[in-house]
Amino acid sequence: MSRTIKGGESFVLFPVGKKRFALAAGAVTELAKPDRLQSFPQTTRLLAGVLLRRGRIVPVCDVAPLLVGPDAPARKFFLIANRNFGPSKEWTAVPVTGECELVNAELLPVTGKLPKYVTGLLSLADEIVEVLDLDLLNAAEGAA
Amino acid sequence: MILFSVGGTTFAISAAAVEEIRGVSGLVPLRTGYLHAKFSKFKYKLERDGRTYFVVDSNAHFHILPTRHDRLLMLRNRPAAILVDAIDRMTEISSLQALPRAFNGEERIWYRGLAVLKDAVVPVVDPDSFLTKAESTVLNAASGKVSIARGAVAG
Repeated sequence: MSRTIKGGESFVLFPVGKKRFALAAGAVTELAKPDRLQSFPQTTRLLAGVLLRRGRIVPVCDVAPLLVGPDAPARKFFLIANRNFGPSKEWTAVPVTGECELVNAELLPVTGKLPKYVTGLLSLADEIVEVLDLDLLNAAEGAA
Repeated sequence: MILFSVGGTTFAISAAAVEEIRGVSGLVPLRTGYLHAKFSKFKYKLERDGRTYFVVDSNAHFHILPTRHDRLLMLRNRPAAILVDAIDRMTEISSLQALPRAFNGEERIWYRGLAVLKDAVVPVVDPDSFLTKAESTVLNAASGKVSIARGAVAG
C-alpha cells in the first residue's frame, strides 16, 4: 500500500509493536517473508544473527528492543536495507512486526529531545512517525 | 574443514590446523585464578611428547553457557587444544565469505569468515584466536617457569 503527499520524499513505514517508524525508501532493498534466522556466538550489540538471502549472508539487526523496549512483539518480516560502511554499502535485515507501507511525505525537522538516530519526522494523517538512520542507530547502540 | 559443535552451534576449522582429535582424558587442571580474567578460558593443560598444550574451554572462549565436552582438538603448530562438545564430520567448503562488517565485536577475532553448507551458515574459526603468543608466554610463565606479578598482563 502507498500514499502520496505532494512534494515529499519517499519513505518506508514499518511497525514495531504499536508504533511505526520510517526509513528513507532509497535505503530499503526489499521486505522479506519470515526466514530462518541463524545465530552463532558473537558480541555485537543489536545483531541477532544472519539470514541467507539469494546466496548472500545478511546480518540481522534487531532494533525493536532499542525502539520500543524489551516487550516488543514477535517480529514477522525482515525489512532489508542498506547500511553504509565508508564508501561501500552492506545489506542489513531489520525484523519488523507487520506489513510495511511506502509513503511520500515531507521530512520535517526533529523537534524536542529525540535520539540522534532520529533524523526527521513525518506528519501523517493520524500519527507522527520518526525517521531513522540505521547507521546512527547502530553507532549509538555500539557506544552505549 | 572439520565441523565441530559447541553449545548447539556448528563451527568449522581448517583440517590443516588440527594435529589430532582425541578424548578428554589426561587433562591436568590449570590454575589461572590469579591472572587476568581473560585467562579463565584456559582450564587445563596437557603434556604430550614433551610439549605443553594449553586447553581452551570453547564455551568460555565464545562466551556461551557451559556444555559437556567430549572431544579435544589439538592444534597444529600451536601449543593449544580446544575442548568441544562433538565432532560432526569433515567436509569441503568451496568458498569462505567475509564476516559482514555489521559484526564489530570479538567475533572479528574469532572467525576467519562464514561458510554456507546446505543453507546453513557456519562460522569458520581462526585457530590463532584461541591462544595468542602473548597468552602463551604468560601461561608458560604461570606454569612455573617464571613468576608473574598479579595483573601484569591485561592486554
